[in-house]
Formats: sequence, structure tokens, C-alpha cells
Amino acid sequence: MVELLPHLLHQAVFGALAAAGFGVLFNFGFRALPWCAAAGALALAVRTVGQDLAWSLEGASFAAAIVTSCSVSALRKQLGPACNAVGLAGCIPMVPGAFFGQALLGFLSVTAPNLVDAEATLILAVQSLLRVIFTLGAIGAGLLIPAHLLRNQDF
Amino acid sequence: MEPQQDPVVVRHRELERIANMALRAGRIMMESGASVSVVHNGVGMIARGFGVDDVGMRSGYASLEVTVHAGGNTITRMMQVGRLGVNHRLDQAIRRLAVRVSHGGMSVDEVEAEIARLVKETPRHPAWVVAVAVGIACASFGRLLGVDWPAFTAILIAGTVGQYVRHQLLHNGVNVFIVAGLIAFLSATLGGVGAILLKSGTISLAMMASILLLVPGVPSTNAQTDIMDGYPTMGSARAVWVLMIMVFASVGVWFAEALLGLRSL
Repeated sequence: MVELLPHLLHQAVFGALAAAGFGVLFNFGFRALPWCAAAGALALAVRTVGQDLAWSLEGASFAAAIVTSCSVSALRKQLGPACNAVGLAGCIPMVPGAFFGQALLGFLSVTAPNLVDAEATLILAVQSLLRVIFTLGAIGAGLLIPAHLLRNQDF
Repeated sequence: MEPQQDPVVVRHRELERIANMALRAGRIMMESGASVSVVHNGVGMIARGFGVDDVGMRSGYASLEVTVHAGGNTITRMMQVGRLGVNHRLDQAIRRLAVRVSHGGMSVDEVEAEIARLVKETPRHPAWVVAVAVGIACASFGRLLGVDWPAFTAILIAGTVGQYVRHQLLHNGVNVFIVAGLIAFLSATLGGVGAILLKSGTISLAMMASILLLVPGVPSTNAQTDIMDGYPTMGSARAVWVLMIMVFASVGVWFAEALLGLRSL
């Protein structure tokens, strides 16, 4: 566990930076941005621990989204109706955009002339696409289930 | 002699003002990144705050419709919705206004003035601040994907420039999908060239991380939320929009990789 700490810290710090950066893009106020960063750090920390326990990316992302959603729900009094948005901003660094790009680039490659290893290219592209679908589903479900069960107010 | 006013017409005019004002609030929420159920609840709260008995709504990707019924009178109105983005502070401000209106005691004129004020005065971060923040976010994404430190710097610059140009293009009304393709090409090229110049060992990852500003995280989550909340049509429309953005972004990266000799066209 101790040897995991530097990696865990690295992922949490960059998860926080990514979440806060996207928080600025989403026009969160300066008071909400530290909460976005904290949510991002928590999400990436949980996902990293999950992956270190040999969970799949999808499973670790689901656990991370659940923990993040429960945590922001516990802070409802401080965050108000914005708690769901803070949880979402925290989970943005887990959105598998790079896999999405790889999947589409792979599909584009399959149609290229003189393709050498079409099967391997196609399988890689399909794997990436499935990973995107399942991971997005896991993040969405992980965020929504606690918010619905704990009856977070939208207003 | 003054013409006698038909009371039904008068009541219809009142209902029309309520419906249009509630739709305006709903449109702003929708354009600011709210899910369909939030928009419906918000519009319903505002309309009921003016004594409307029943509110029925339908949401499309580009329009909202509301039917309000009060005192035996019913009208239906529709409003166009603009480009869907994310503006957290404006979204939350309109939600707070909906709560205030639902308690009663405000006139239609007051609410319309308040909506106009919120649209005008809700603060936004300056474009350069957003650009730098997005650059940092892209570079951080890159680190999470495993890029090395030279590539981190390249992505930071590529993401910052990409976001600034994207802001200018969208501000000038350029089509959002064309913007996605152009910015993917620009950012991936800058990220790739920077990574090569800085002797990075993760050039392809750097190019991919440089375009992550384009990944529509909120719309993809909203798509799921809408489907789970019972609005599969809107959820599907959002999902198709997400897919189209990523297709254009991927084509941009494809051309950038071809330009840098990493891939053949």
C-alpha cells in the first residue's frame, strides 16, 4: 500500500487539476472550484485504488463515481442544489475521451487501403469503443444512483 | 365607444405571458446544461407560482413546448432553444429564481426583468482564464493517461490555444461540429509538434490529450440522466450529438497525424 501512495497522490493531484480546469470552463464560481477539485481528487484516488486491486476500468470508475456522489450528497448543506453538479465535475477526469478517440481512429484505419492487420485493428477499435460505452455508463450510473436514492434536491 | 374586451382573450393573454416567461427560464436552463427533468420542474414551478393549475411540457433538442391550464383556459406555446452548453452559475441562478417565483408574490414583469438581469449580469470567467484552465486540465488529463513531462508542457500550450480559438470561433457563430474538427486538428498538431520539439516519448498520447477539451462530458452524462428520467428521445439526441462531436474531433486528429507523418491518409 505504501508503494502505491506516490502514484495515488499523483493521480489525485492531476484529477483535481483536471476537474477544477473543467470547472472553470463550466463557469463554476471561485467558491465552488475547490469543491470540484476535491471531488476530482477523490474520484481519481478511488479509481486508482480500485485499479490497483485489479478491478477493471469500468468497475473502478463505477466505484469512484458512487463514492464521489455519496460524498457530495453528504455535503448537501454546504453545497446546496449544486452538489450534483460538483459531483459531475469531479467525475469529468474519468470520462474516457482518449479511448473514444482511439476507437474512432481505429474504425477509420479499418477502411484504409492496404491495411496490414485488419482483424487486430478492428478488435482494438471495438475494445476501445466498448470500454467507452461501459465506462460512461458506469460513471453515469454511479453518479445518478446515490443522487436518486438520497433524494438530492435539484432546486 | 371603447371596444369591449373579451375576458377569455384577456386571460389567454395573461397565460401567454406566463407561458413565454416560464419557457424563457427553461430555455436558459437547457442552454446552460440542465437535464430535461430539471427544466420541466423549473418551468412547472414558475408557472404554478402564478396560479397555473396544470403544466404539460415537451422537450426537443432544439425547442421547448409548454401547455398551461388555469381557470378553464388553456394555451400551448413553443420556444426555440439555442446551442446547448454549460454555464453552471447561470443555471443555478435561474433555479434559485424558480424557487422564489414558486413561493408567489412576484409579477410577470418582475420575473422577466430578473431573468434579463441574470442573463446580463451573471459573471463569466474571462476567455483567457478559461483557456489557461482548460490547457491545465488537458495537460492533467495527459498525465492521467501517462504522458511524460515534456509532453505535459506541449499539451498545456496546445490546449490553451485550442480553447481560446474555439471560444472565438463559437462566438462568431461557426458550426459547433466544424469547430470540433478544426480545433482537434489545431490542438493535436500543436501538441504533436510541441512533443516532438521537446523530445517527448509519448507523441501520440500528447496529440490525443491535446484534444480532450472537446470531449463532451456533461452532454454524455445528461444523455444518460434524461434516459433514466424517462426522456429517451432527448437522451438519444444528446448521445448522437456526442458521437458526432467525437467523429469530427477524430477526423481532425487523423489529419494532424497525417500532417506529422504518423499516419497515412
